[in-house]
Amino acid sequence: MTSFFEATFAMFIFPGGLFALAAGLMLKGVDRKAVARLQRRVGPPLYQPALDVLKLTIKETLIPHTANEVAFKLAPVLGLSGVLLTAAVMPIGGVWNGVTGMKDLLVLLYLLPVPAMALMIAGSASSSPYGALGFSREMVVMFAYEMPLIASFLAVAVRVGGTGSGMFALDNIINYQMQHGPMIFDPIMLPAFVAMLLFIPGTMGSGLFDIPEAEPEVIEGPLLEYSGPLLAMFQLMSAVKLVVVVELVVALFMPNGLGGNVLVNLVWHLFKCLALMLVAVTVFRASTGRLRLEQGFAFFVKYTSPLALVSLGLAYMLR
Amino acid sequence: MLNKFINKIAPRSPWLYRLNAGSCNGCDVELATVALIPRYDVERLGCKYCGSPRHADIVLISGPLTSRVRDKVLRVYDEIPHPKVTLACGACPISGGVYRDSYTVNSPIDQYIPIDVVVPGCPPRPHAIIEGVALALEIWRKRLEEGTCSRS
Repeated sequence: MTSFFEATFAMFIFPGGLFALAAGLMLKGVDRKAVARLQRRVGPPLYQPALDVLKLTIKETLIPHTANEVAFKLAPVLGLSGVLLTAAVMPIGGVWNGVTGMKDLLVLLYLLPVPAMALMIAGSASSSPYGALGFSREMVVMFAYEMPLIASFLAVAVRVGGTGSGMFALDNIINYQMQHGPMIFDPIMLPAFVAMLLFIPGTMGSGLFDIPEAEPEVIEGPLLEYSGPLLAMFQLMSAVKLVVVVELVVALFMPNGLGGNVLVNLVWHLFKCLALMLVAVTVFRASTGRLRLEQGFAFFVKYTSPLALVSLGLAYMLR
Repeated sequence: MLNKFINKIAPRSPWLYRLNAGSCNGCDVELATVALIPRYDVERLGCKYCGSPRHADIVLISGPLTSRVRDKVLRVYDEIPHPKVTLACGACPISGGVYRDSYTVNSPIDQYIPIDVVVPGCPPRPHAIIEGVALALEIWRKRLEEGTCSRS
């Protein structure tokens, strides 16, 4: 019974739910403000994404009469609930160890593509040619960035070196780093860390990899036909997704807290998330343009995957 | 209560959409300047240019509405969800500008689309456009409070 309450709490309040929504909207706001400051503009206030979401709830919802209405309405619900579940599973080093029986890297591997899937369903259900283009681009980019993601997961799991079904347990990985120092200071794991740094903008669609939602080319791709509350749900989904991928990298490579105090550890965790986001999303977005689809695909296949595979090979040989 | 709160803060997050009704590109360059040059940063009002008309709140119309694009412009205008505010940018939507009395031009534009704010000039200064956007926000706020924003 305790695990039921624990899971409910995790889903709706602390690592997922309210906490993830608040942290995601805050990170998005910092991102917009920081890009504006990098371009020497004043920029919007930090709470601007929250205002955007609230405003979208009073807008009219238009559904194209050629669209598949069920899939069109279901896609944002699916995406938002998927990322909230992912956020609930994610452990925070020194604060939260994850729900009993749900802390496993393989669960994350299944849950992480859910928002991309939701965008694909959205793009194909909207019956717009631009939506279909966004759908196919989203799919190609997803195939490209899954490979370095899986290779990095395996590299970390092999380096930690659990046995049997414990190999992919997240609490094993975090305990190992509590004892042996964070993975980011391990020279073998550095290539995998760089690969994960490139995976963040890949999955968020920012900077070089703004391919599926390219505004000037496919006018926001899968989100083209969405308006009102449904679009607000997609905005929330993207905010929570940002938190989830950043927390994932923190959990895999630097989950160490500062000491025994839970509150200090939480602030330290948020600080790490913020720093990682500023490097991987904000500066990357402000300083790069966009690749073509096949260039983006080739980038992940040629440069990012080998980095993660090098780590995997070294970890396998040295274990 | 919550509705009242949202009505109050909604005008702080306007998303702009540029609708080119046969403009000569002069006004569009000035509109791009408003957002892209740090000095005239329009994002400090919370604005953001969006690519899709479905996401838009404030429609910036430039150009004299040539007969070739008239039906398309009306269709795109209908695809913008309520509540929306329209801003006519430049001399052309008001009078036709230099194309006045041409047989290919359907200006003034408010025979077809209700216009809320007019920013005259050929092309208007970025300061004027930003003031126009601020006026449009005031109109939007007033309409939300009066509840006259729903689809008519």
